[in-house]
Amino acid sequence: MSLLPPEIREDMRSARQLEWRTLGWMTSVILVMFLASGSSQAMRTALFEDVLSLVPAATFLIAAKLEPKSPTKKYPFGFVRVNSLAFLASAVVLTALGGWLLVEGLMGLFKAEHPTIGPMELFGQTVWQGWVMVAALTYSVIPPLILGHLKLPIARKLQDKVLHTDALMQKADWQTGLAGICGIVGVALGWWWADALAAAVISLSILYDGIRNIRTAAAELLDGAPRALDSADIAPDAQQLQARLEARWPGAKVRLRESGRYILASVEEVDEIGEPPALHDLMQDDAPWRLAQLSFSPESSSRRGEDKA
Amino acid sequence: MMAIATAALLGGCNLPRDPGRTADTVRARGEMRVGFVAEDLPDRAAEQQLASAAKAHGAQVRRLTGPSETLLRAIEEGELDLVYGRFPADSPWAEHVYLSRVPGRLAEPPTDVSAPRFAIRNGENGWIMAVERARP
Repeated sequence: MSLLPPEIREDMRSARQLEWRTLGWMTSVILVMFLASGSSQAMRTALFEDVLSLVPAATFLIAAKLEPKSPTKKYPFGFVRVNSLAFLASAVVLTALGGWLLVEGLMGLFKAEHPTIGPMELFGQTVWQGWVMVAALTYSVIPPLILGHLKLPIARKLQDKVLHTDALMQKADWQTGLAGICGIVGVALGWWWADALAAAVISLSILYDGIRNIRTAAAELLDGAPRALDSADIAPDAQQLQARLEARWPGAKVRLRESGRYILASVEEVDEIGEPPALHDLMQDDAPWRLAQLSFSPESSSRRGEDKA
Repeated sequence: MMAIATAALLGGCNLPRDPGRTADTVRARGEMRVGFVAEDLPDRAAEQQLASAAKAHGAQVRRLTGPSETLLRAIEEGELDLVYGRFPADSPWAEHVYLSRVPGRLAEPPTDVSAPRFAIRNGENGWIMAVERARP
């Protein structure tokens, strides 16, 4: 389980490449946004979201580095779950920040603060800084639009939650850019509330990202059944595997959990194992590498769960 | 490119606008109400900027003098269109009113140094731009 299965090595390589590109491209976006950002709340919130969009990319790269490492004496099961840990940490940060930005945006609305956007010297011309911000925000929309689109299919093939979340966050990212543009164009039209409203909408999207990520990370850390990438439901390949295992060992207790991108299956309360079926018979049309471990325990040893029930 | 084109287009049709309609009011009233902080006499560059902003809006300058505290509060309430005085860029008032760049100077002084500036009501972005563009 320590080394990556050969089937996904190629996809892993392109995923890593995409994430490095994300780091580079998004850094340029953050730089442009930072230079153009003035007193617009929406713009500042969008800048926050752009900075945050580096977190899943960095998480993925660190986890991809650690995941293939061989188990050690202190970590006998290897490091396949390192991304779940990093994922939970970043989800908590995301949620806290989203909440804080939402409060700030709503306060701006209630206090009826009129956003002041002044002039800026650009190539010897005095221009309204709002237009510079709109240009920067327009640039900030492009990279996440492209990157998110490229990441989604790879994330599905790799069954990678961090990469999948990253792709979804980039979708939120470019929508955020558009919301920011609306806010500043609103200010230009003399609607003071447009900026704070856009900021509140953007922070809602950050908050939503955070809460969804916490749910996903918690499911794995609590040894929940393998979840589908794009919903809170049990993954379809896990459901089918469960059915096949139950058909093969009727009366046994079959439990599946997830460890990183892999499924671990245990068949309990079975005294006669017999010849276990081939991996391809168990997974059939689904990716066979997903099933990383199949373990059996006899009836007498699985009393712990029963006693409590 | 598209953003710049859109921006140029929008810039052409009199944007940004003022939520408090200061620029429109100055034009309609034909009068620009300017407060001068009692001890701060305007220099030539400031006078030029005032005259040019007034002319662009077809308005006369009506002058008042008073203590800075009173004048800035009047700006916050929209009772004055401009206040002239010496303020540091990092003045505590900078949160409540917009403090312009120093008239007639290319480089800004350090933020903690008092320098002649115009104070304008927060959020009146069109009026701010009009006054800033009138710099000599």
